[in-house]
This record gives sequence, C-alpha cells and structure tokens, in this order.
Amino acid sequence: MRQVSRSTRIALYLYGAVILSLLYLPLVSVGFASVSKARYLSFPIKRYTSEWMTAAVTSPTVHELVLTSLKIAVSVTILSMVIGFFGALAFARFQWRYRGLFQKIILLPIFFPQTVLGLALLIWFSALGITPSWKTAVVAHLVWIAPITTLIIAIRAYAFDPALEEAARDMGASTLTVLREITLPLLMPGIVSAGLFAFLLSWGNFPLSLFTTGVDATLPKWLYSRMVSGYTPQIPALGVLSVIGSTLLVAVGLVLMRWMRPRD
Amino acid sequence: MAAKPFVQIENVTKRFGRFTALDRINLDISEGEFLTIVGPSGSGKSTLIRLLVGIDDVTEGTISLNGTRIDTMPANKRPTCMVFQSLALFPHMTVGQNIEFPLKLRGVAPADRRTRAIELLALLRLPESYYGKRISQCSGGERQRVALARALAFDPQIIVFDEPLSALDYRLRKTLEKELKDLHARTGKTFVYITHSLEEAMVMSDRIAIMRSGRFEQIATAEEIYSRPISRFVASFMGEVNLFPVIGRADGTPDWPAGAISARPGALAVAPGWTGVLMARPELVRFLDAGQAADFTLSGTLTAEYALGSRIQYSVDTAAGLVTVERPFETRLTAPVGTPVTLGWDRAAVHLIAEAADGTA
Repeated sequence: MRQVSRSTRIALYLYGAVILSLLYLPLVSVGFASVSKARYLSFPIKRYTSEWMTAAVTSPTVHELVLTSLKIAVSVTILSMVIGFFGALAFARFQWRYRGLFQKIILLPIFFPQTVLGLALLIWFSALGITPSWKTAVVAHLVWIAPITTLIIAIRAYAFDPALEEAARDMGASTLTVLREITLPLLMPGIVSAGLFAFLLSWGNFPLSLFTTGVDATLPKWLYSRMVSGYTPQIPALGVLSVIGSTLLVAVGLVLMRWMRPRD
Repeated sequence: MAAKPFVQIENVTKRFGRFTALDRINLDISEGEFLTIVGPSGSGKSTLIRLLVGIDDVTEGTISLNGTRIDTMPANKRPTCMVFQSLALFPHMTVGQNIEFPLKLRGVAPADRRTRAIELLALLRLPESYYGKRISQCSGGERQRVALARALAFDPQIIVFDEPLSALDYRLRKTLEKELKDLHARTGKTFVYITHSLEEAMVMSDRIAIMRSGRFEQIATAEEIYSRPISRFVASFMGEVNLFPVIGRADGTPDWPAGAISARPGALAVAPGWTGVLMARPELVRFLDAGQAADFTLSGTLTAEYALGSRIQYSVDTAAGLVTVERPFETRLTAPVGTPVTLGWDRAAVHLIAEAADGTA
C-alpha cells in the first residue's frame, strides 16, 4: 500500500467521519428519541427515561408482532436458503439450454419496485382465493429474497473447482455423499451469509408486508401505522431494540462464517 | 505384452454436439504399465481419460478392464482414480482427512484409516507431522504428494494423471517426474498419464501414445518414437529436428524439392514417385572440415549460436533452409557467426517418413 502524506491522511479521516455520520446519525437520533421523557424529540434532551423501552419490552401487542415477524423471517430464511442452494447449483454446475436467460429473469424481482410487487401479489392471492396472512407474506418475501440468496450462493458456487466434486465421485462417493461431504461444507459460508441477508431483509421489510400480511401485522407494518397515527416514543424504542437484535444476529453470523471458512 | 490386455479401449468415439473429440480410438494397456498420452491442447487426450474414469460417457465403443466392461459403470463404481490437473484436494479437510477420504467412504475404522494414511505419508516421503496440516499450508510439491497418497489410499486398478505437474516450476517438475517413475516401480500399479510434453513422457513412460485431433498418431516406446517417428507431426513434437522433403526420381535417386543436398551415390535409394521427408537429428549433424566426407553434405553459413547449458545449438542457413546442429558444450566451435560451413551426416543417422503427396501422413 502506498504511503500517504499528512494532508491526504487528514482528508481521508474527514471523509470517513462524514460518511459514518451520514450513515449513523439518523440511528443515533432514534436512540435519543427512545430515551427522551418528552413525547416529541427536541435537543437538548431535558429528561431521560427508560419507560418507553420498558413499555416496548413488556407490551403483549409487541410480543405478538415480534412473534409474527419472527415466524415470517425464519420461514423465509430457511426456504430461501434451500431454494438459493439448489438454484445456485443449477447455475454453476449444469449446462442447460435456457440457463443464461433464466439467470437474468430470476433477478428481475430484485429490480421491481417492492410496492408494485406487493400489490401484484395481493391481486394474485385474491384472484386465487387465498386469504392474505403471515403465510402469504412468506411467499411474497420469497419472491424478492430468494433471487438474492441464489445470487449470493451462486457466487460461492462459481468460485469452487468442479474437479473437487468429480474427484470425490471418482473415489466412490455417491451423489448424496458428494453433496454432504464436499458441496455443502464448501458452500456453507455462502449459505450462512445468504441466510443472514434473508433474515434481515425479511425482518425489516415493510412494502411487501403492507400488502400481503392481511390481518396479521409485522413489526415494520405496525411501526408505520403508529407513526401515521398515535406516535409515542415507544416507536423509536422498538426500532432501537430491533437494530440491536439485528446487530447481534449479524455478529453471530460473522463468527460462524469465520469459524467455518476453510483457510484458503 | 500380455496375451490378454488389462485395459482394452475399443472403437471409442466421443462427440460433444457436432464436435468429434475422439474418433474410433483403440488402445490396449498392460497391467503395471506406465503409459503416457501426449498431444497438443484439444487433441482429445483429456477427453479420453475422463471416459476411462467415468466422468464423461462414451458416445460409441467399449472400455473393458480385465475382460469386464466398465464404460457402462458410473464413476463411483469404477476401480479407477484420477489425479486432477488442479489436484482437487479438499480445502476444508486436513492432509490426513484428504488421504483417508476414500477409506472413510468404504467404511474403514478410524484407527485403521489413520494407520494407512501415515504409511502413505511415509511412502510419499512426507513427515508424519503433515497428517494434521491444512492443504493451504502445503507447498506445490507437497500437495502433489498428498494427491498421490489419496489416490493410492483408494487403491484403484488404474491411476490416471491429468497433467498434474504442469503448474509447477521446472526444477520441481523434473524432481517429481523421477519420483513418480520411482513410485510406479515400487507400487506396481498401472499408470496412465497425460501431458503435452514429450520430454516429460520420455522420462517416465514404458510406452507413449501420441495423439492428434482425436486419433492416435503413434503408440510406441520412447526410443521408437524418438528415433523412428511415424510422421512429421510426431517428429516435430520433440522440439528441433531437421526435416528435408524428398521425392523419388524415376531412376531411384532422391530429389530435394526444398533445396539441393549432396548425397553420396547409393547412400539413399527411394522408389520412383516416393514422397516424404528425411529426418536428421541436430545432434547427429556434424560440421565437416575440409577433406572430411559424409553420406549427405550441405553447405551454408553459420547464422546463430545458442548455449543450452550442457549443449550448444547452431543455426546454419543453407540452400535447403535453416538447419539446426547440436553438439556438447566442450566441442564449441571457434568459428564466428557468418563463417561459411559444410554440414554432413550419415545414412545411419537419418530416418525416412513417408507422406502422401499433399503433405499428410
């Protein structure tokens, strides 16, 4: 790496500080809002309180919301990991006629505006006579998230030498054994990071859930409706708790990936 | 060679879509033989060994081992094992786990697997401490040995090598070529090796099969291929050889279409209308002093001198084209570049390759 002069170094630090504050200042202000005694945030904060945090943690409504959001996010994570794994293998391991075309089409939902996608799915569900609930939200989330997990796992699948699978097979391994002993362990870091993404994207998703959860409410959906009418600092308090939860999850995921990575 | 071949490849054709990679190949391999298949990229040599181990399927023809057809067996049921070009060592396993992998598949008890892995490490001259090492901690040559140990642990009837040395530097490659030959002698296994280097093939093999565009050009011992190549293609595979086109005149004397070479009367008789090339190896061509004679003589000008270490190579511009001459370093010429010289060689040093009039073999 090149040695930089004093002035360049200062400029780089400044740049870093500006970017970080742009990214995290909003989060910090939400944090302040959640511990303010006043109903509306104003600086400087006159009196601090933990009552909103306590309310957020103890509220039965919140428990139910968290449970629904968790049910959706966990289902989406598991399903999108499985779909992504096989999808990635289909891309990276097999030559078939419309592979290139399929590869492009499958990514389209990512570029679709989510509100439009949500509405389209709602129309479909009602056309098919399916009552929207948290289960339909799982399907809706999958339409958007499964392509992302497929992409993440495919990057990993492309990077590993197909000769590894051929060699295992050549030495007597059955298709299932090759999958279990070679393919799965080598793709595992990709699968775990895909799972992390899937969980976080599903957990925080608002536009798709808004249209497709029906009478069930997820955390983001409820937060939005309370922001529109009936704001209390319990909302930023919940937001902060959610961010802390996500951060812990990412940390666990990173440790897991570090532990699994073959040192190559 | 044994009466009944160990491996019998009969009329094997492999097509990928409309492209024919292998065209009615026939090859017999004896038990315990070290056979090397040599050919340029795209000649079909990799395809052939992939068919042999079962990674790809034959389009037509049969492959038998000890009289049993194996071309219809899936790869994981065949008693063959391939050492891949990339070696295909499992990066998420240790050296020991890699070597034990085929044994684990066979359900061998952990203690027995370990004993065998350590035996194999010793056979490949790797210290026992390597058992717990990661693949990424091994050097190129060590990885090579681990891959070999893993193949030997599988204990196949045939070990197939797909240019495993091609990524290594020259000196390490030379060492491993000799080790591989030595390992072949010690294990008595049948080795089928592919490479694009005839030099590599000559160091190790009992027999060499030269491949060109999906067919065998010549299958013979190293000595046979070196001194009596069947075609210009095989001859040119060995680096610099001098090839002079020859046509038989009506009176049975040679005509030299590329430029006149003086041949002693009676030195070379060719049938009228015969077409082909005369091959003279660079180390068998001499510089003639005044008054010295040879069966074939050719004069020209010394144009370049290249030191190759133990040998010196000269380029001589003659009426019949550029001629390469090689001699030991100790007999280096004192004459400078630009000196007129006379070249000579004898009948015993030449080999005739017949060709059709259009230049094909």
